[in-house]
Amino acid sequence: MNTEAATAAKAPDRRDDGSRGRGRLPSQRREGFVLFLSIVPLLVLVFLFSYFPLYGWIYSLFDYRPARGLSGSEFVGLQWFTMLVSSPTQVDQIVQVMLNTLAMSFLGIAASVLPLAFAVFLNEIRATWFKNLIQTLTTLPNFISWVLVYMIAFSMFSTTGMVNGLLESIGLISEPLKFLDSDEHVWLKMALWGVWKTLGWGAILYLAAIAGIDQSLYESAKVDGAGRFSTMWHITVPQLMPTYFVLLMLAIANILNNGMEQYYVFQNAFNKDTIQVLDLYVYNIGMTGNNLSLATAISMLKSVISVVLLLSVNALSKRVRGTSLI
Amino acid sequence: MLSDVRRRSLLTGGAVLTLSGLGLSACSGSNSGPGDGPAEPFPTAWDDALTADVFDGLANQMGEQPGWFGKLVTDRFNLTLNVIAPNVAGGGDTLYNTRVSAGDLGDIVLTDQGQKLTELVEGGLLMDISSWYEHMESSARFDAAVQKVNEGLDGIYAIPTQVSTLKPSEPSEGIDPTFGPFVRWDVYGKVGYPEIGTLEDLLPVLKQMQDAEPTAANGKRTYALSLFADWDGNYMNNAKQPCCYYGYDEVGFVLAKADGSDFQSILDPGSLYVRVLKWFFEANQLGILDPESTTQNYDTLFSKMQAGQVLFSFWPWQGQAAFNTEANMAEGKGFMIAPLADQKIFSYGASVYGGKQVFGVGSNAEDPARGAAFIDWLYSSEGVYANSSQTMGAAGPQGLTWELNADGKPELTDFGRQVLLGEGGNVPEEWGGGSYIDGTSWLNVTTVIGNDEDPETGFPFNYKMWETYQATAANPLTEDWAGRMGGHATTMEYLQANDMLAVGAGASYVAPEDSSEISTIRNQVKAVIVESSWKMAFAKDQAEFDALLAEMQSTADGLGYQQVLEVDMANAKDQDALRKEVVAEFG
Repeated sequence: MNTEAATAAKAPDRRDDGSRGRGRLPSQRREGFVLFLSIVPLLVLVFLFSYFPLYGWIYSLFDYRPARGLSGSEFVGLQWFTMLVSSPTQVDQIVQVMLNTLAMSFLGIAASVLPLAFAVFLNEIRATWFKNLIQTLTTLPNFISWVLVYMIAFSMFSTTGMVNGLLESIGLISEPLKFLDSDEHVWLKMALWGVWKTLGWGAILYLAAIAGIDQSLYESAKVDGAGRFSTMWHITVPQLMPTYFVLLMLAIANILNNGMEQYYVFQNAFNKDTIQVLDLYVYNIGMTGNNLSLATAISMLKSVISVVLLLSVNALSKRVRGTSLI
Repeated sequence: MLSDVRRRSLLTGGAVLTLSGLGLSACSGSNSGPGDGPAEPFPTAWDDALTADVFDGLANQMGEQPGWFGKLVTDRFNLTLNVIAPNVAGGGDTLYNTRVSAGDLGDIVLTDQGQKLTELVEGGLLMDISSWYEHMESSARFDAAVQKVNEGLDGIYAIPTQVSTLKPSEPSEGIDPTFGPFVRWDVYGKVGYPEIGTLEDLLPVLKQMQDAEPTAANGKRTYALSLFADWDGNYMNNAKQPCCYYGYDEVGFVLAKADGSDFQSILDPGSLYVRVLKWFFEANQLGILDPESTTQNYDTLFSKMQAGQVLFSFWPWQGQAAFNTEANMAEGKGFMIAPLADQKIFSYGASVYGGKQVFGVGSNAEDPARGAAFIDWLYSSEGVYANSSQTMGAAGPQGLTWELNADGKPELTDFGRQVLLGEGGNVPEEWGGGSYIDGTSWLNVTTVIGNDEDPETGFPFNYKMWETYQATAANPLTEDWAGRMGGHATTMEYLQANDMLAVGAGASYVAPEDSSEISTIRNQVKAVIVESSWKMAFAKDQAEFDALLAEMQSTADGLGYQQVLEVDMANAKDQDALRKEVVAEFG
């Protein structure tokens, strides 16, 4: 933000320079052109990766068969879109999927204060070796793929897994508890797995931000008689807020992209109703079901909802903070 | 007579040799206009080493074919098979679509007839091999099937698999059908061989069996029934199997009886499928259904069976492969069929026109002539013995696992007995080394069915049907079983003698392509059916079971189940008509 402000401040100066001597206009133009050239590669990338793929939306209007190619496939107009809303059951399915997506995204967002709190507390640990150990241990899960996380989950929580075995052997339960194959608290369980996997990694940014806090703030607070908890609460947390809000904003923009690997590996017949998020639904229906056109249509739905969400968050931000995001 | 046959094949071999000597320069590397004029015969030796991508919809392993089969193919064709297996890659048709979009499926392609074949031919992904076909003498033995598969196509694009010269009304399976209520016979004996009237009567018997053998040899708990989810398709796969005990097989969402006398919608409250779900539910109530069923896959289940932790198998080829080792059978232990009094087990008739899968040569194949020659070899006696060693019980390569004895009859060698029936073993170095099992063909497809007669020996390819095998195969397990089954030597004999077999004539019916809309609805509906079926099997009580059933029916209907059912019902009736037609024509 600082750099933005700086460039904004400099820009008028330059324009003033230019208007003073008309003879330097060509060179100024050349300079502008060079500057333009320097962003061209980025523009090309943006075009290639953000706009060119939109061409693929055309597939949603065809009955696309890969072997025949687009030209050999039948044009079906809006058939796939009408199909999505063709009966109450179809609508129910989409609604349930959207509900799962939003619920799990919001749980994820709600859980985003945890890395912040974790970083704040971790920072208070005096013994460096212990602090490093904790940080390493909590960061590691981030590098484990979801498939392996599921293996861990399976060996611990399956009906003959470690937890059930332990509970049974000490006589607490007689029938194994169904942790994985039930539809109870699926959203919460998934959010917890997410937290377990990303807690340490998410804290890294905050730890970096904490390191950047001016030490004189703490010193003067101590002089004024502040204890550890009051410095945490009145100095560390407020200082981290800008970082937190930026990350929160990014998370909201990504609300529908809450991934599918996690849900893909954890899904089974018993939790499918509540675990199926939009991306997974697209995958289950479109990719495994061999209907790429319908998959395109559903993922377009996703883009539309994303844009709507972004605009509404933007409006909210304008009203609350007085600045717009885009 | 036998020597006649052999002499003739020697002569043809000689003829091929001479002919190929004339034109060694077969169009290797060229893929232009194979359709113009006859191609030159295949050479006997191929100079340059080649690795061919084999896109194989049935393969369960991916990568370069290792072991003795790999060596055999390399020796013959200087060819290394690089198997590309969508089953391994996962994600349904994703890999197929990706490769098809890229315009190159593979050098050799194993795909389904019907929709996929038509689509690949129209899309120009398969090559017309008609000019080589005249040199493909082994597959030309089944010319009627080849012509039938390529009907309506402009040329020869596909060679059908699972072909046979048997009658369509004869079972295509070997000594065991594909389906059947197979139980751990030793444990069944422990509870006194109780008679079983119908499917529901099996449950108390299984309960007794589980009580009689509460733990396996490894100390783990046994369960009478254990299920797995990774083969679920149109329905919960396991729940379909007992439907086959009453002569039904699936055509989409329809259960069609082999003789065409009944067609059921699976969601009908009175359907066999719902009956089986109820059966699972009751098994779970009795505590004989493995609670891990919901999360385990086939491999986990299979290793449980090997360890003796499961007492029932839906299929002979599963339970027996896992547990009926020579050591176990010598102790009288193993899976054998415990007949239900009212069973009528579905059996696939030998299909005159071949099975669902077909071989083709990719249009971008590096050396299509060699591809065609290789495919043809898979239909030769040598190819069938070697390639179907895993899938259809063919004996393996002559000279390694079997040989002709003094009477000119095929007989397993000691090594053959060891690797096919016993604990397995390593192949001698000159055959490529490595373990026998690891070196079997990864193609996982049957070209000529195992029951079919090898024209070179006059005996079936399947060693279990050889007199020499049956004479030595008796063991305490089979003796005990045969003693209680009226002296019948094999399951198939018993079923045929007691009229307990329903053969669905081998008509090679392939359902026409679903419209995209139907296929999408089908995908949505089947997800609902599979999901609900599992929940029903593990429902807490009858009320929950009924509620789930009602919910499944209404959700499926809401998604458009009836539309798909109409299509499937029409297909099932077409299949039946075709079955009656081939029976009338071929007997």
